[in-house]
Amino acid sequence: MGRERIVNVALGAAVLAAGAGAVPALADESTPAAGAGSSVSIRLHLTDEALPGADPYAAAWDTIRPSEFQLAPQVHWPDRIQEVTVKSVKVRGMHNGEELAMLLEYADPSEDAADAAALEFMVGERKAHFAHGQEMLQVEGGPVNIWYWTHAAGNAVDMSAKGFKTLRPQTQQDVSATGAWRDGVWRVVFSRRLNTDDARDVRITPGEWTNVAFAVWDGQIVDGAVKEQGSQKAVSSWWYVRAEPPPDASIYGYVALGIALAAGFEWLLVRKIRRGNAA
Amino acid sequence: MTMKNPLAKTAVLLAGMYVFLTWILPLFTAPLPASLIYLYLALTVAAAAIFYTMSGAGLDDFMGPIGRFLTGEGHAGATGTARLVVFALFPLLVGWQTYAKLAPSDMPPAENRTIHPAPPGEFVGLANPFPRTPGNIATGQGLYAAYCSPCHGGNFDGKGPASVGFNPPPANFSDPGTIAQLQESYLFWRIKKGGVGLPVEGMPWKSAMPRWEKELTDERIWKIIMGEYAGAGQSPRTWEEEE
Ligand code: HEC
Repeated sequence: MGRERIVNVALGAAVLAAGAGAVPALADESTPAAGAGSSVSIRLHLTDEALPGADPYAAAWDTIRPSEFQLAPQVHWPDRIQEVTVKSVKVRGMHNGEELAMLLEYADPSEDAADAAALEFMVGERKAHFAHGQEMLQVEGGPVNIWYWTHAAGNAVDMSAKGFKTLRPQTQQDVSATGAWRDGVWRVVFSRRLNTDDARDVRITPGEWTNVAFAVWDGQIVDGAVKEQGSQKAVSSWWYVRAEPPPDASIYGYVALGIALAAGFEWLLVRKIRRGNAA
Repeated sequence: MTMKNPLAKTAVLLAGMYVFLTWILPLFTAPLPASLIYLYLALTVAAAAIFYTMSGAGLDDFMGPIGRFLTGEGHAGATGTARLVVFALFPLLVGWQTYAKLAPSDMPPAENRTIHPAPPGEFVGLANPFPRTPGNIATGQGLYAAYCSPCHGGNFDGKGPASVGFNPPPANFSDPGTIAQLQESYLFWRIKKGGVGLPVEGMPWKSAMPRWEKELTDERIWKIIMGEYAGAGQSPRTWEEEE
């Protein structure tokens, strides 16, 4: 049996294998296990322009497709609440390499002084429990950084916690926030530099995944009391945020290389077989 | 048509492998990543190629149709066009696959969370000290309704009103893959110590399961376990052996 033939067989097999590989690659695209309205992550889109930090309704926000995360009434620890107003939050984000802005949007039928919303982040290398970095029994946990916006204050407070009842404002305040309520919808923009010189702050490094969680309070007055406050709120557990890394042109180089290799391979294959047949 | 043609046989073998790896195997184990399925299929093809190459006689039958298709020999009209399409698509597929692998994605890296890690030694082998009487089961179900149903659901299906937004979601007790696989002592540990009691491979920082020892006595926890199994229509692992 000719060597020529064996080469042909191997080349043919490779073509088939590459074709077969395309099938699972196509199936790959439809991954997330979460259902409708439940994203897994937020992308902070990279832009060259100034961020619309103070304007929740800036046109730039509408160019970004929001991620959406469902919220549950907080029944994890006392004081619990069995039913909450806000069922989900839509989140969009941008950064320009220096600063970031994250927009929360959610339906709340009434505008109330005690309305509030917060973002929570893991800080540093150590894992922290999403419930205010509460103590874990077999794993040494780390702190969380919480950006807490209230309508009454008209701004955000930069806070830290490591365990229940340890939540405190930081001495160095690095976050600002602006909220605007229109027609039953709150839009709140949080802004901060990607990195601060405060070790208690989350560092956002483009290209790296950071854990983030959400909380919302409906401050409506019901029977003389604020409906949701303190631990009585709508919550999520950890999801992810990532600042988009600068575009990497080498990807297109690799794509071109892949196409060239495949075409060259086809040419070689046909030539080999023709020669083999002629021999 | 009987399948004498080695090429057709290989094609059927490949299709069979694909079905097995993508749909049948995941019934028993975790699903395979696409790249591994690809690798296994490539290996199958290589093995078939070697097999037919060794048995010299079969070689022409195996390679003949492929060779004629690739060189275009005897392919005019529609099959000739199909040949050109295949030739154009193959490099594009490779390019597209390269892009899909390298482009920044919004999917965070997959995490391998161990769902049922080993319990701490002091919980191994504990038995429920309370008899399985209708009264105790009813007490347990009442406590379940008050403390657990907001997350794990009144129907024990993990779909209570406070179950959304959590990753991982609250366990579905009516699924045979959860409490039916476990011993009562294991549940006692999980309920008492909660998500924060998990070892590192269980990713305790992600679990919304409360640490109930802060609020519920051991007696109440044991009765809840009884009520939970009864309500979900499941039995713990050891009961079958005792009965
Ligand atoms: C705040 C929501 C919440 C409440 C309330 C809650 N759980 Fe859970 N539970 C979870 C989540 C989320 C998980 C899955 C993550 C984990 O295993 O820690 C879980 C897991 C479990 C498991 C482990 C199942 C397995 O297959 O490993 C048991 C057992 C359990 N819960 C029992 C209970 C009982 C009993 C109660 C009431 C006393 C209760 N839970 C209340 C959220 C909750």
